[in-house]
Amino acid sequence: MSQHDTVNYEAVLSKFREDPFTYVDIHAMHTGQIRFHVHEGDQVEGLTGDFRHIKGTLLCELTRERNQKPIHCTTKGEVSFVNKDLDGKFVQAGEKIMTIRHPLKKREIIEQILRKVLVPFAAPEKAKYYFAMDIQSRIEKFGQRSVSVKAGDELFTMSLMKRDTPVFYAGESGLIHSVYFKQGQSMEQGEPLVGICPPEKIAVVEKVITRVKAEWE
Amino acid sequence: MKAKVLIANRGEIAIRIATACEDLGHDFIMIYTDADKDSEHVRRYADGSGKEQKVWRISSYTDPNEILSIADHTSCTAIHPGYGFFSEDYRFARRVTIRDRPLIFIGPKWEVIRDLGDKINTKKVANELGIPTIPGTSAPIYNEMEAESVAAKLLNEQLEQGITEPSILVKAAAGGGGMGIEEVRRIEQFRRTYREVKNYAKRQFGDGGVLIETCLRDYNHLEVQLLCSQHGEQLHFGTRNCTIQSTGRQKRLEAAPGFDDSCFDYAFDSKEVLAQVIDYSLKLAAHVHYDNVGTWEWIVARNGQPYLLEVNTRIQVENDVSARISFYKNKQPNLLREQIRVALGEKIGYSQRKVVFKGACIEFRIVAEDTSRDFAPWIGKITRFEFPKHDWSAVYTQVPSDRTYDIPSDFDPNLALALVWGDSIAQAKERGRAFLKEVSIQGETSSGEPMMTNLQYLNDNIERLLTF
Amino acid sequence: MQEIRKRLTKVEERINYIGQVKGSADWGNIDSVAQRFKGVQDAIFDLSAEQMAEKIHNLEEELAFLEERAEESLTGMDRVRIVRSPLRFSLKDILENVYEDYTELGGEEEDSIDASMVCAKATVSAIIKGKTVTQQVMVIGHEKGHGEEYRNGGCSKPWGNEKALRFMMVAQTEGIPIHSYIFTPGSFPTEDYPGAGQQIARNIYAMTKLEVPIISIISEGGSGGAEAIGCSDYRLMFSHGYYSVISPEGGAAIEGKVREGEKIPAEMVESCAERLKISAADNLRLKTIDRVVDEPVLGAKRDDFEFFKRIKYEMIRATDEVVLKTKSLRAFRNYEMKLKRSTKEFGDDAHIDVSWELNRDELARLLDMRSKKYRQMGCEGLCTKDGILGCLANRVKEKSSKYFYNIRYDLLHSHQKQVKQVMHDVTSESSAVIKHVTGPLAGIFGFFTRKPDTERLPASRDLDREELYDNTYTSPLANEDRTITCPNSEQSGCKDLWVPDLYGQFGGVCENCGHHFPLEYQWYLKNLFDRDSIREFNSKISARNPLDSPAFEKRLQDAFKKTGRRSAMITFDARVHGVEVVVAMLYSNFRNGTVGATEGEKFVQAAERARMMRRPLLSYVHTTGGIRIQEGTLGVTQMPKCTMAVREYVDAGGLYMVVYDNNSYAGPVASFLGCSYYQFAIRSSRVGFAGPRVIRDTTGEDIPPDYHSARNALKRGHIQGIWDRREFRTNLHKSLMTMGGKSLYYR
Repeated sequence: MSQHDTVNYEAVLSKFREDPFTYVDIHAMHTGQIRFHVHEGDQVEGLTGDFRHIKGTLLCELTRERNQKPIHCTTKGEVSFVNKDLDGKFVQAGEKIMTIRHPLKKREIIEQILRKVLVPFAAPEKAKYYFAMDIQSRIEKFGQRSVSVKAGDELFTMSLMKRDTPVFYAGESGLIHSVYFKQGQSMEQGEPLVGICPPEKIAVVEKVITRVKAEWE
Repeated sequence: MKAKVLIANRGEIAIRIATACEDLGHDFIMIYTDADKDSEHVRRYADGSGKEQKVWRISSYTDPNEILSIADHTSCTAIHPGYGFFSEDYRFARRVTIRDRPLIFIGPKWEVIRDLGDKINTKKVANELGIPTIPGTSAPIYNEMEAESVAAKLLNEQLEQGITEPSILVKAAAGGGGMGIEEVRRIEQFRRTYREVKNYAKRQFGDGGVLIETCLRDYNHLEVQLLCSQHGEQLHFGTRNCTIQSTGRQKRLEAAPGFDDSCFDYAFDSKEVLAQVIDYSLKLAAHVHYDNVGTWEWIVARNGQPYLLEVNTRIQVENDVSARISFYKNKQPNLLREQIRVALGEKIGYSQRKVVFKGACIEFRIVAEDTSRDFAPWIGKITRFEFPKHDWSAVYTQVPSDRTYDIPSDFDPNLALALVWGDSIAQAKERGRAFLKEVSIQGETSSGEPMMTNLQYLNDNIERLLTF
Repeated sequence: MQEIRKRLTKVEERINYIGQVKGSADWGNIDSVAQRFKGVQDAIFDLSAEQMAEKIHNLEEELAFLEERAEESLTGMDRVRIVRSPLRFSLKDILENVYEDYTELGGEEEDSIDASMVCAKATVSAIIKGKTVTQQVMVIGHEKGHGEEYRNGGCSKPWGNEKALRFMMVAQTEGIPIHSYIFTPGSFPTEDYPGAGQQIARNIYAMTKLEVPIISIISEGGSGGAEAIGCSDYRLMFSHGYYSVISPEGGAAIEGKVREGEKIPAEMVESCAERLKISAADNLRLKTIDRVVDEPVLGAKRDDFEFFKRIKYEMIRATDEVVLKTKSLRAFRNYEMKLKRSTKEFGDDAHIDVSWELNRDELARLLDMRSKKYRQMGCEGLCTKDGILGCLANRVKEKSSKYFYNIRYDLLHSHQKQVKQVMHDVTSESSAVIKHVTGPLAGIFGFFTRKPDTERLPASRDLDREELYDNTYTSPLANEDRTITCPNSEQSGCKDLWVPDLYGQFGGVCENCGHHFPLEYQWYLKNLFDRDSIREFNSKISARNPLDSPAFEKRLQDAFKKTGRRSAMITFDARVHGVEVVVAMLYSNFRNGTVGATEGEKFVQAAERARMMRRPLLSYVHTTGGIRIQEGTLGVTQMPKCTMAVREYVDAGGLYMVVYDNNSYAGPVASFLGCSYYQFAIRSSRVGFAGPRVIRDTTGEDIPPDYHSARNALKRGHIQGIWDRREFRTNLHKSLMTMGGKSLYYR
């Protein structure tokens, strides 16, 4: 195993210990008049239920064309910032309205560490991406982590300028371990879309997982 | 009455509309999405804040709720849809005009948009008025036997006219934009193609209706520019020729007038045909009480037979091409201004006799694209964008000339419209070539490859204009 | 000593039992009895046997008195607690004690496809004139067990009910009667194949015409689960059992609008149990059962051996009666005379020799009587608003049209071909003279044989747009300038929909993802049928309050006022692209489309009308919330009643189609809707047996949000297809043409 494959767990984990949170900014998804339903410091709940079908805490309501649209929280955590000045005001689309401080779970820490271990495949252009039909059906059938790709495979469909272009995988062969994008959402150029785990790195990945599981409570 | 117009569009047309509003003394509001934040149409008007805020960020140009919500919040009284987006969406027009807080829709009344937007209906109305349309079915066909007999008839008709390679098109009735269209040359192929199209239509649009029409090979594609008012006035601004198109039927070059005898030896009296299509266009406009700007699209076969193709119930990208060969009181009119005026209920105020046609005009659509690779869009950063200024040219663009510009990936990669005009088509062509030579566009992709545009393609194709 | 201990245990059991039944340990003065019992128990080593015996005797006396008092004041809920007591007898006890011998079929004990349903081939013996006469029966029933978990409390799963059906068919093949024992709080609410509702519907559908005598007896009759094996020729009930449309807890939660997770107040449950009229006496009065089998004070327990003799006597007697009625009236009278002359009330020697085998004619009579029996269920007192006279006028009209249709179809049908042939032969040689002669004849023939419209339909249709969408009607929902969010907007990226567009032009369908927003039933009346083709009938038959609940009376009046209609079912003649159909429509505005005696009766009349006029029958379910609980078992018996009507209509050659929309749940789906061969659903609708809340309450498990979606119903094989609302009319017409064939009426 080469040197750069090894992870300095102590350093990485202690960094997470210092600040075991991610900060999720919430933006107005469209224009409208906003009314807040939470305050800074409130504990909020994300999606719950056996089927993740129970909505999270009501954060605010955005009213546009007489449609009072509730915005529910999708991540568990604490409201760390509310743009109070906006309460009752008309906001433009994309305005930052609040921030949720989300305590990282084991799974998420593992995911973050693995970003450094896995082979990333970056977005070639700023565009919207979808898994190629074949890959998508395999993922649906066998589950994400059992689909492997090799160089030359058609991995994505890139939707750009109203045109769909196939994107072919280039790089080490391996399993699609992590997916970093949401289908149909615009991705910046150079951002990783997936993390590929080549066969020889499976051991490292497993080590990361056991290590974090053991040391993180 | 001073109006406040919400400009529900982007890019060069948004700027043109804003300028027209300013010229007329109306207030306006600009909208944009995050991808367009560096576009000139945003930067130019971005200073104001509070009550003076002119540009507003929305989530999507295609969400009517966003547009109306901004219109209400900023107390606009009218909406200009530009071209594309909502310009031919009669439901949007209807909603704008019948909602609790109604606004003026700058375009034809919604009933007209609906009726002429339906190609089948347009064909029906046109035929009733004796206006020729492309031979074929007047309503969707659902029955295979019936379809086959129509197909056989159309193919035979062509043979009788001496067309050696007759051909018909089978189209999904509910389709549009070139989807679900197949060509058939021999009747033996027909059933198979018919089934393919029918199944496609059923899957895609939920309706298995199919249209069949004659496929014309050699033809000219003409446009007639009309301007009508709510007071029954009807004017035309001549014809345009847009036969040269890139793949995907995007117009790249367009010229006015529609025909010019100096360019080609037509097998028909070109003046008569132009007069004929203008006449027909006005006839249909009068029949439907058309009340805004509009473009009547025509196909003219090699033998001079015109067929009405469709009606574009909006301001077209190329409207200015017509305006540049039309003179009222020795001045080229601005059709956007005229459009806003008539939409707000004004009279046009002058008659057809006062419009004098003179010279020729050519428009280039400058696009970042790879013309050798199927006109594939090119994306990247523009570092330099310069074009010459002449009193015989005009340029409309959203690309800033004083700073770099990222081409947003969500839209067509149109960079600019450039118009040149002259006393004759020959002079216009010459000026066009000179103009294109002076244009300077530089840029690179994210990986450092140089910018690609269709400038060369445009230059190569000038000579072909009107030569059919 | 042993004896004393036994008696002590028994006394303790009785004390506890009274407490259990009454739902409190301090009812009457049982707590003081319990105290004294403690004293006696503690003194067991201090007192002599005689003293002990005396003390125990005193306690027993007192208990007997208390039990009498408890019996006198039995409430509805007390009955429910009696039935739920682990001490109560179960089917296994009956099999052991009533029948001579038996073999369990389709599993044994816990090794069974569904241990809550027991099927057994059994023999029952009677001593007649000193000789033992043994006959075979098929015993089918729920087994609650005495606390075993695998019995699932008698809640049968779909496969349990399927097992029951399978062995009913065996009984039919072998020609032996079925004894059906109902001990179920309700069916287990799962949609796993084939789904609780589907299986119950299949069972009822089969039982309506099962060619053997069926005797059922109810101990615990929980709604749909009970009906799955309850459709019978003779319906008995144990005096301390209950037969109800819903558990009192469930009923209280619905009636009191108690939110999920909140505790339902005990008084509410008590009063609901009262209102539901669940006792044997109530049911006898409502004529939902035929006879009550008396139990000892406070209900029979598993060791009341004398009681099993009674069951045996009653079951044999009921079977005899059913069999004899099919033979002749005289045979039945003879039997009754003999019974009267018999000295003992019941007992082994009280039996009379009756063979349970039936011949063809007798079977036909059996089915005919079963049909008539269910036709009457819940009919009493139902009449139109315009009184008896109106009814009479309708009857006369119906009768006369019946003759017309009879002549047209029955009389002429057989001759039709011949006549046609003759006509053809004659006219093909046509000379002017012959035409002159046959003209009038052909006219008369034509009058009877003409088929309205259907044959004039062209093979393929290019329908005008105007015809597809009746643009004279716009949903009132559209008259509001606002937008709403599509529920799929997050997954499918749907934009907010402008209400006038959505409910106007889009027909309530999201233009992006195709989600169907609910629309009022009037929309369908206007858009589904040919313009002005709807002719409603029976509109004046009014929903009632048969159990005289004052709270429900008010709600009923509100429903009348709100809808301007008299019931949740609209029945009418209509045309779909020229095809004449009879439609029965349940709609949401009236008590959430629930089915009571009135709705059932209207449905049956619609089926009869469709049968008489040889027209397809369509059930369009705008919404149904199930059986109307406020009508108690009168509502429940509409399940077999309506299924019987469907069965007879289909057997007569009718084409019966069901289309579900919005929400369709419970009883109706598990009977007269679910039994259709051709069921369809409108997109975004939900169809199933029990709603999510009921499932959570009964199984303790949550279900996926799309559990009842039309798509899943399609996957499970419940429905045949999902239709877009905007293509409802086209699809309906197409289905009528393809499924109904040329005559639109099967055969």
